[in-house]
Amino acid sequence: MSAREQILGKIEPLAESKHPGAFQGASEEFDFRASLAVVGARVMTMAELETEFPGRRRYDKTLDGLSLAEIEVLEIDGEFGVAENGAIWLLEEALPHRVAPFICQHLVINVKKIVPHMHAAYEELGKVNSGFGLFLSGPSKTADIEQSLVIGAHGARSLTVVIHA
Amino acid sequence: MRVALFVPCYIDQFYPQVAVASLELLEKLGCEVVVPTDQTCCGQPMANSGFASSTEGCDANFSQNFEGFDYIVGPSGSCVLHVKEHHPSKKIRNSVYEICEFLMDVLKVSSLNAHFPHRVGLHQSCHGQRGLHLSSMSERNEKHFSKIEDLLALVGGIEVVLPVRVDECCGFGGTFCVTEEAVSVKMGQDRIKEHHANAVSYIVGVDTSCLMHMEGILRRQGSKVQVKHIVEILNHA
Amino acid sequence: MLSHAEASENFIADADRTDWHDETLWFVREKRDKVSKVLPEWEALREHASQIKDHTLANLGEYLQAFEAKAQANGITVHWAADAAEHNAIVHDIIAAQGSKILVKSKSMLTEECHLNDYLASKGIEVVDTDLGERIVQFRNEAPSHIVLPAIHLKKEDVGETFHQFLGTPKGNKDPQFLTEAARQHLRGHFLASEVAITGVNFAVAETGEFVVCTNEGNADMGAHLAKVHIACMGIEKIIPKRADLASFLRLLARSATGQLITTYTSHFHKPREGQEIHIMLIDNGRTRQLADPKYKNSLKCIRCAACFNTCPVYRRSGGHSYHQPVAGPIGSILAPNIDKKANVDLPFASTLCGSCSNVCPVKINIHEQLWFWRQDLMEAGLAPVGKTIGMKLMAFTLANPVIYRIGGSLLRRFAGLLNTRLNPWYKQREMPVAPQESFQEWYKKR
Ligand code: SF4
Repeated sequence: MSAREQILGKIEPLAESKHPGAFQGASEEFDFRASLAVVGARVMTMAELETEFPGRRRYDKTLDGLSLAEIEVLEIDGEFGVAENGAIWLLEEALPHRVAPFICQHLVINVKKIVPHMHAAYEELGKVNSGFGLFLSGPSKTADIEQSLVIGAHGARSLTVVIHA
Repeated sequence: MRVALFVPCYIDQFYPQVAVASLELLEKLGCEVVVPTDQTCCGQPMANSGFASSTEGCDANFSQNFEGFDYIVGPSGSCVLHVKEHHPSKKIRNSVYEICEFLMDVLKVSSLNAHFPHRVGLHQSCHGQRGLHLSSMSERNEKHFSKIEDLLALVGGIEVVLPVRVDECCGFGGTFCVTEEAVSVKMGQDRIKEHHANAVSYIVGVDTSCLMHMEGILRRQGSKVQVKHIVEILNHA
Repeated sequence: MLSHAEASENFIADADRTDWHDETLWFVREKRDKVSKVLPEWEALREHASQIKDHTLANLGEYLQAFEAKAQANGITVHWAADAAEHNAIVHDIIAAQGSKILVKSKSMLTEECHLNDYLASKGIEVVDTDLGERIVQFRNEAPSHIVLPAIHLKKEDVGETFHQFLGTPKGNKDPQFLTEAARQHLRGHFLASEVAITGVNFAVAETGEFVVCTNEGNADMGAHLAKVHIACMGIEKIIPKRADLASFLRLLARSATGQLITTYTSHFHKPREGQEIHIMLIDNGRTRQLADPKYKNSLKCIRCAACFNTCPVYRRSGGHSYHQPVAGPIGSILAPNIDKKANVDLPFASTLCGSCSNVCPVKINIHEQLWFWRQDLMEAGLAPVGKTIGMKLMAFTLANPVIYRIGGSLLRRFAGLLNTRLNPWYKQREMPVAPQESFQEWYKKR
């Protein structure tokens, strides 16, 4: 018997327990900018961005992730931001490559739309049927050495968000 | 009101003053208190050690002593919780009360003739708190309440001080206190350290077992801090 | 192997380090308290997540099959493994087909549970753990001591020394910033070179066939998006019904784990990228047995946030290694006996049953009650240490008989002084209570 049949055969249906449906009663009072500050992202205007990262650029689609290994500053567009946690939804279609937001040294994301919380975020996502997407919240970080926070573990060392709303 | 006083075995043998204070306090508050004289133990020590299957005798003896009472009141959160959760008789499970719970919820005590002019550190015993919900819990997002603090607020002259880790376990844990001796003692020492830092004269709690454990450590350290069960304070004129 | 009690005694022997460990993890618990208390809907969210998991477990077979069908339609290869050995063999076959001798792996408690690294090493394949904490303990040939903070038992001096030895950092340098940068450079080389990447899975969605991986470092993504082959390993309990269900779980997970609002990266893998293979491993390894027991099935709701570790007063003072299992802490203590009762008989007793774990658990697992049930089951299975059964039976007999109880009690009080001996574990660091002349009942009779 295959492992699949074995496993499925061992699972007896249990007493029914209803799916609770969508979550009701989420608070709406969240501030995207405040959350970005908490997760270590910076918010800039276009003008400030020009001075900070004059050399930033966008990159074309590529199948070769390794070719992006030397990127200093990458600029991309996020689909929307989530106020409660500073996360920004990124979709594969808007990225040069899946690895792009991780492999660059510094990341700049443009955000045009903000939803209050994760429930609204998934409503927004709906049934999007992309190959890959992620919520990205702040720069890469770790606290694995004595719980002291260090920014820039493996992913981008900094995140700058430009809000066009 | 007719009340049966449940005196857990180790209180009977080692802390009779807690049972005396419970008896006197309930009488002062107008209860007719009956003390079943053949009571022994609720069975918790065996059950928490994995021998719930051996507690039939204790359960039967408990039933014999407490059958027919609408209010079975005991000064020990963990023993009361054990009866409430595990005793085979539904009537008994529904009739047993920890004494603070009984004073607040049934007698609805709003004043006491008690005086205890000392600085007192409050120890939340886990089974009374998380098990019987005598007070709100630091882990939960819930409104603060405390039947224990409400009762202590009725005592004249008392100053109640809470540790920073307001409801961390003292490490007694039944047989845990000997089978996991090192962790148990370390937990107790850490609780005591906070109370020492708060310069209290007494540590008060609703479970004598926790107090016995902390008292053992305090005395070994040569500390002047003493332990008191809450009824001893509520009964202190 | 040392029992939890013995290992803890060794741990506590270093009092300063124990205090540090306790305070550091308590600080994490405090961060969790803070972020959970500013969300008015926190308790409702826990209830919501808990109900979704209950519902999923009640229909697990259907959801697994739905997930499989969707994932396959998305171009993902799905493998099933009944136990650790099968899992490891399949993973090895996939790697061997690729011809790789070295690969990168991000955090996956499941592969720890299956001892995958050792197995692959025996086949001549090197696994490079890429989570910083896991890399540190891997260099030291240790196991992670915490499922979210794998190196929490170590001080920065220890890490500095380890990196000096393995990465050639200057001796004596123990600056976390510097050491993290050294690991970044070292692991980047591996990311760029690896053809195979293994990751864990936080959630797998039956409705869409996608799976979600959460990290703060970005290591899972660095590995998976550069490799030709991505192998994602998950226990069968990681399934959730709908994509929208992720909202509640993601709101709870990071807040419970570290007090963060969300992990830095929450990646949704739906289809392989062009030219890439994705394999999903669905592993049982005792889970169906756990599911069939109504007392313990709820333990499968766990989302591995480790909040129960951080709040546990015993864990904080005994360290993860004292649990001698890949998953330590309160949840580990109720999972481990399902795998091996005898080897883990000590774990359900490594608790005071204070109940704090159940209170922090984002999916409302009744952890402390399950600890109590395991105690009963293990003792009934005849696994009590020598003498304990006799002692307990004697105690039960005495306490069930009022006359014998009274005689025993007065003897105990009279001769209590005899217990003041080092042989009595109570007396080692505590005084015995002072025995009164009269018991309460004796006093009451005279009243
Ligand atoms: S049992 Fe609950 S608190 Fe513990 S790791 Fe699992 S989900 Fe988190």
